Amino acid sequence: MDTPDQRLFDADVASAEFRAGALKGYWGLAGAGILPEQPAWPMRVLWIAAASRPNAPDRYYVRLDLSNYRTVAPTGTFWDPSTKDTLDLAKRPKGRSNSRFAMVFRTDWEGGRAFYHPYDRVAAQGHTNWPGEQPSLIWDSNHTIVDCLEEFHSLLNCGDYLGL
Amino acid sequence: MADEELELYIHSQGAKPKIAVARPHEVLRDVLVREEIIRQGQDDVLIFVGEWDEALTEADEIEDGEDRHDPVDVLVTVEVLELRRHRHVHVHKCRRVRVEINFNGQTKHHRFSPATTIAVVTRWARKKFRLDGAAGAEYVLRICKTDKQPRPSEHLGELVSAPACAVCFDLVKEITPQG
Repeated sequence: MDTPDQRLFDADVASAEFRAGALKGYWGLAGAGILPEQPAWPMRVLWIAAASRPNAPDRYYVRLDLSNYRTVAPTGTFWDPSTKDTLDLAKRPKGRSNSRFAMVFRTDWEGGRAFYHPYDRVAAQGHTNWPGEQPSLIWDSNHTIVDCLEEFHSLLNCGDYLGL
Repeated sequence: MADEELELYIHSQGAKPKIAVARPHEVLRDVLVREEIIRQGQDDVLIFVGEWDEALTEADEIEDGEDRHDPVDVLVTVEVLELRRHRHVHVHKCRRVRVEINFNGQTKHHRFSPATTIAVVTRWARKKFRLDGAAGAEYVLRICKTDKQPRPSEHLGELVSAPACAVCFDLVKEITPQG
């Protein structure tokens, strides 16, 4: 039987905001061609489209831990569809030096196991200064998976994204 | 196949978008009534379809420009309105949304269609304030006198209500997480 957090996540994946973005090719749940089935809850694998860059993929996969979804922020990192494991640091998307992109997707913090962003609970828990500095990006139960996907999709499609 | 159901995204003022399922031969008004978006006989709303980005082609020297997005006839079918292509339907009392954007002591104005996304307004603002390219990527819109930064996919129509039909933004540099 599905847990309340899983039902809430499933409802958000069925929402107009998620579906409209999926229709545009911005994001989606990893399909059967990548994974026969999604990992056991609270883990989910999603993909996010990225701007075209030489020798870089047109999408990146992320594996998120969605425990207590919506009450608690997700956490996770990039995932490799070929090895079905965490993406090697060398294969992570790279950004312009000192840019916001480079900071959010940094690999020199926590071994690259979480995103350096207020929407990631591991990062948020360690940064009590962030609520004062970035109040609009502090996760609360009004946020959904679409907020995460839009934020990372925007970064992966901005001018600071350099490729691999 | 020709009569295949399609998913529409219905946007209304001050509300989250909803999904409606429609068939090509259905009259749009009937779809909106069935989904309880409008009432039978209601004629005080305007219906726009699609997502509008006309402002992005506006010449830089134009001040206080206005989009030309016309509302559609709600008695026309889903097929004739090409909603398989457009997908988004906006139900609104505002014909235009008057947007004011402040940056670096300057203010720019434009009257946008309610079917304009925040992503388009942001690109328009970066262009008007000459923040194009990678340097402009970190500038985002924040609603004036708040800490709210609407998501790029939100539409202006979801943020405003009649009769004001207006919103003010500050163009701000997004903070890079640190510490």
